[in-house]
Amino acid sequence: MATLQLKKLTSVWIITILVLFVLAIVFGILMRFNQGNAIHLSPVGFYSMMTIHGLTMIGIWFVAGMAAVNFLLQRYIKVSAGINVFALVLTVIGVVMLWLVTFVGEFHTGWTFLYPLPFRGAWKEWATPLFLLALGVLGIGWFVWSAGMLFQIFRKYRPAQAFAWQHLRKGSPEIETPPFILISTVTLIGIITCLVAAVLLLVLYFAEYFSSGSFVNDALLMKNLTFFFGHTLANEMLYLGLASLYELFPEVSGRPKFKMTWYVALAWNCTMVFILTAFFHHMYMDFVQPFAFQVIGQMASYFASVPAAAVTAFSVLAVVIKNPIRWSLTNTLFFVGVTGWLIGGVGAVIDATISNNFVLHNTLWVPAHFHTYNAIGNVLFSLAFFNWAANEFGGKGHTDKFTRLKMTLLIIGGSGFVIMFYIGGAYSVPRRFNVYPQEFSSLSILASAGALFACLYLAVIVWFLVNTVNKCLKVFSAA
Amino acid sequence: MFKSIFCGLSIFCLGAVARAQGPGYVFSEEDKIYQKVADVNIAYDGEVRSLSGLYSQGPVVIALIYTRCSGVCNPFLLQVKENMLVADSDERSRVLVVSFDPRDGSGEMRRLAIRYGLDNDGGWIFATTPQISELINSVGFNPVWDSVRAQFDHEALLVGINDEGFITRKLTGLRDFNAFTSLLRSIRNEFILSYPLPNENMVFSCFSYNPETGKNQPGTGLLLLLLPALLSLVVVFVLSRRHDRKPRF
Ligand code: HEM
Repeated sequence: MATLQLKKLTSVWIITILVLFVLAIVFGILMRFNQGNAIHLSPVGFYSMMTIHGLTMIGIWFVAGMAAVNFLLQRYIKVSAGINVFALVLTVIGVVMLWLVTFVGEFHTGWTFLYPLPFRGAWKEWATPLFLLALGVLGIGWFVWSAGMLFQIFRKYRPAQAFAWQHLRKGSPEIETPPFILISTVTLIGIITCLVAAVLLLVLYFAEYFSSGSFVNDALLMKNLTFFFGHTLANEMLYLGLASLYELFPEVSGRPKFKMTWYVALAWNCTMVFILTAFFHHMYMDFVQPFAFQVIGQMASYFASVPAAAVTAFSVLAVVIKNPIRWSLTNTLFFVGVTGWLIGGVGAVIDATISNNFVLHNTLWVPAHFHTYNAIGNVLFSLAFFNWAANEFGGKGHTDKFTRLKMTLLIIGGSGFVIMFYIGGAYSVPRRFNVYPQEFSSLSILASAGALFACLYLAVIVWFLVNTVNKCLKVFSAA
Repeated sequence: MFKSIFCGLSIFCLGAVARAQGPGYVFSEEDKIYQKVADVNIAYDGEVRSLSGLYSQGPVVIALIYTRCSGVCNPFLLQVKENMLVADSDERSRVLVVSFDPRDGSGEMRRLAIRYGLDNDGGWIFATTPQISELINSVGFNPVWDSVRAQFDHEALLVGINDEGFITRKLTGLRDFNAFTSLLRSIRNEFILSYPLPNENMVFSCFSYNPETGKNQPGTGLLLLLLPALLSLVVVFVLSRRHDRKPRF
């Protein structure tokens, strides 16, 4: 049973995340209208918005996954409320710093802040160190949070059990590892690894910043570390969402819990190892990167994603096919989320193939695929958890008479929005342009169409926010 | 207590020393890249024209020299001339040779052109400018007057300017033909791959450069990429070590 304190904390996370999500979508829509020439933002305004949009989205859906895993973990182990509060406080401080840096300090490197851009900026002098400091604050909060949860998992499960290795041997194991524990463990380890990469990156940035030229960084190393951190974190947040799905989807569908099998264990162990080198696929255009790394990047991209996607799709289909299901907003969100994740995943694997990347690199294909597995994939996993949790907290049943309407609008809005990106990508429209060059101006209509679809998506999110916040607030009036 | 004060002070002092160490003279080919060159007036052929008037007719390569140089300027100009002769005709651009020595006038520059046999070559302009400090600041060139030798202490610098006045590439020193053609291509707005050579300030370079063989070998930077995974293994080991696990299966 979750304690009242944990329910309150989770409610605060949910409300904060949803409010920030609405703001970040508004920025996204403004950017897309600007690319469609429907409105005119200054270049600095556009790029500041793009930077804070990317940072906020990655940040909130990461902590959404963490908050969900933290909440659900208490079904198996004791979780620390103190660490949860610590992470919440540092996250809020970090987010405030980032918003200051971008909107007051006009910092606009994009969320990947590729070296040496932070040092070459057309922004306030204090913005670069404050930006790096903000990342440090967030990193500390999240590192302690992840390590805290992992510590608790290892108090109950030996590492080999947490990795479900006993399921890889023949015969039925004495101790069964719940899939939720396996996925949480491999994901938390991945998160710790990429946060260590972030620490290294920040140390190198600060060393150069304070050395007045006597220490300079290697651009190739910095880019590798940036994507080691950024790409891995963006993927791990997806796995956090999947952990909730494995735990809740059968339960809310009225089906028995997922069992651990050898192939689930193998797939997620593969993901743990291979995701750490998949980021090399961001470096295909870096001609000085050793060629072997490029090959590893392509292979790791396949091995990290395909097995986990296959077993998840198989497990989810096994629940819904030929079984009477209690469909609710929660499991519909999970189900549609898996579909979005798989479609976006195919787009990602296409792009992670070296020969294709020569054509698709830095075109709108990239935002197309990552918005697919985020906006209509991972985000829906977390929304499903939010909805489930809000219903638990609000004391109401899990039925929602508007499920069908909400889902229809969300699917139309979300897919319309990403399809416009895909078409742009297929026509080689470059990404991250505030206004498209003459050659692509006829395609800018796609951008405005994408923004209109996104408005539909936004409307559903606002509706969802109002319902969810109302329910979550009830926890605070509970005795 | 004493220990922490000592450590704190040492870190502060070392930090202050590190900060106080200026980089000295920096030869940086990245400095000022993609910035606009100053639109100065240049004097040649008895007329004064603006630099923007020149580059708007087509990209320009600027060579900064002075006529009384007893050092690198002569071999440098000679090499630029040879490279221009060998370069494909459709890649060639105008070369603007500008003196950064205020003592040089149009007479000296004309004699220099004659000495190199370039006085009647339309591809070459030998000029002076009354706004030399603006020009050299805008391209990141910092000659220092050495009163003992009565010479400027300076590097050989070639600056590529495209037809919009942006500095697309800089070459320091006497460089080979490949580097020269990459400069010619960059001022025609072709994308040129580049990677800074490892140097002693770049401690964690992904490659270490061997000047004897001229080859790059994997360096400490690449090894550093293993560190996050190794440190995480240590974290996992530490987190999972003690514990009287009481299974609750
Ligand atoms: C309907 C909601 C959304 C809209 C309208 C939107 C819009 C946009 C737009 C217009 C861009 C710039 C594209 C370009 O490169 O030209 C962008 C970039 C980005 N978006 Fe979204 N987005 C939405 C949802 C999301 C979600 C849910 C996530 C992640 C969980 C996300 C993460 C990002 C990231 C990481 C970038 C890249 C920023 C950068 O390049 O620095 N977005 N988005």
